Amino acid sequence: MNAPIMNQSNEIALELCALSKVYSVKRGLFQPPGEIKAVNDVSLRLYRGETLGLVGESGCGKSTLAKMLLGLLTPSAGNVLINGLEVDPTQRKKNARHIQPIFQDPYSSLNPRKSVAEIVGLPLWLHDMGTASVRQQEVRRMLDLVGMPERTHSQYPNQLSGGQRQRVAIARALILKPDILICDEPTSALDVSVQAQILNLLLDLKAEFGLTYLFISHDLGVVEHLVDRVAVMYQGSIVELESREQIFAQASHPYTRMLLASGLTPEPGLGIPELTVAE
Amino acid sequence: MSLLLEVKNLQVDLPTDNGLLHAVRGIDFEVRRGEMLCLVGESGCGKSMTSLALMGLLPRKAVCRAERMRFDGSDLLNLSQAQRNQLRGRRMAMIFQEPMTSLNPSYTLGNQLCEAMLEQPGVTRAEVRERAIYLLHRTGISNPEERLRQYPHQLSGGLRQRVMIAMALMCSPDLIIADEPTTALDVTIQAQILRMIRDLQREFGTAVMFITHDLGVVSRIADQVAVMYAGQVVETAEVAQLFAAPAHPYTRGLLNCIPVRGKTTPGSHLQAIPGVVPSLIGAVSGCAFRNRCALADDVCEQMPTLVDTGGDQRHWARCHKLGSTAPTQEIAA
Repeated sequence: MNAPIMNQSNEIALELCALSKVYSVKRGLFQPPGEIKAVNDVSLRLYRGETLGLVGESGCGKSTLAKMLLGLLTPSAGNVLINGLEVDPTQRKKNARHIQPIFQDPYSSLNPRKSVAEIVGLPLWLHDMGTASVRQQEVRRMLDLVGMPERTHSQYPNQLSGGQRQRVAIARALILKPDILICDEPTSALDVSVQAQILNLLLDLKAEFGLTYLFISHDLGVVEHLVDRVAVMYQGSIVELESREQIFAQASHPYTRMLLASGLTPEPGLGIPELTVAE
Repeated sequence: MSLLLEVKNLQVDLPTDNGLLHAVRGIDFEVRRGEMLCLVGESGCGKSMTSLALMGLLPRKAVCRAERMRFDGSDLLNLSQAQRNQLRGRRMAMIFQEPMTSLNPSYTLGNQLCEAMLEQPGVTRAEVRERAIYLLHRTGISNPEERLRQYPHQLSGGLRQRVMIAMALMCSPDLIIADEPTTALDVTIQAQILRMIRDLQREFGTAVMFITHDLGVVSRIADQVAVMYAGQVVETAEVAQLFAAPAHPYTRGLLNCIPVRGKTTPGSHLQAIPGVVPSLIGAVSGCAFRNRCALADDVCEQMPTLVDTGGDQRHWARCHKLGSTAPTQEIAA
């Protein structure tokens, strides 16, 4: 199922082996609980230095998958390997050295009671790295790198714009120098003009640190711009995994084709696509 | 097409803890009967405040002023609350962004759909029910009779938005204001809902003021477009004209920063607009876009007016630098 890879190494950074997450739901007093398969038998490989796009609609299991990769949720079955080693959900600190998240909503993912410098410095403090002055220096360097001017370092999240908050979240994710970033819809809460700034920043940082991205998004325009390969998720399963060129030129799965058809690019005269889908 | 809504120099101020927020700073626009006008802009540009001002639903402490605000001959500025209620829901209706929160969870859909129309004199309950069923059917909802007895929580987001649209159409209004009606929905559902709004608008001849931040949506659905920035309309034109020859640097910037297949090279730097939207708290002077604009110079310290861009199109833009082409912007991330 793996497409040929260009300009990435063949070293596997992250591997998902038959990963599943099943939630049980109460149905009634005397009925046995039902099962919801949020993620169903997903196997994926992320090669070092590549950007893998994960697309799908709300409720298809993208975020559940991301949480399991980060060790925030325990899989019902299957396992996650980072650099060939199995992830132990009880060893969060160890995992955090290698894999870090950027979440969708920069308004709720930053602690409102801590300043920007404190937020970005906290992972270093937790991991007991360096002396206070070394940490301070590192925080300043990282904030500088993501384009946060000096005067904002002592500010609190509520004083920042959405784009600035997302920059802080990126700095916090990168301060431990992880190999893999899980970007869960990092620009969908931002305005388009700011979205472009953040996407440019992600591209630059990837080149600078040699990062591997799992880029989760429902915006196919953004996905096409950023990723090397695309995995399409539908109802908890990966239904298609192909190189970017392949998937945008000739998608094979009907769901992928429907997703592609429903994207609205700014081209007047094309009208609104006719889709026949059951809800 | 005759004029339905005319707004001249609308201003909305909101008092905040840090001073007066000038949310809408003198905007003019017109909506003709049966026309789709798109108001497009980023968050905080005043597009939602404009719609709330038209519906008379502004927060209590907001101050709303206008030179003129006429809806089909009646002056919206001097209406009593009772007269407002006569208009709202019957002559002008609104579709809100969040289908999850804009329906009342404790009433059935039938109850909510029929409420406004039952207030009208001389209609029977059976007629209202029949129209509700007809509209639910037209908005693509299966088993409409059954749905009338259901509660909002039993429906998916897409279905709820369809119910909201059916509700807006109940009294055959002349104008529907749709505030980001598809933003909370998945892309495949969005396409279906947009198509339905467009079809119903054409069939019933309803004018629609469609508010969105998505230029992709605008390009596919609008007749006329007004681009808003920092509480002002910075450019207005017919849809084909606006996308073919955007005149304002902000409009050009917005169009350039979206990745489009075949136009942008994957992995290349996007042409982002540098900087952020200025604060609208306190006095705002000059062109609001000048701190992000590559063309800006001393002239831009003066507030530009909305001027004709020339040519025979009805194409207006608020910029001193019309006609000067942008230098190739080299922009930091």
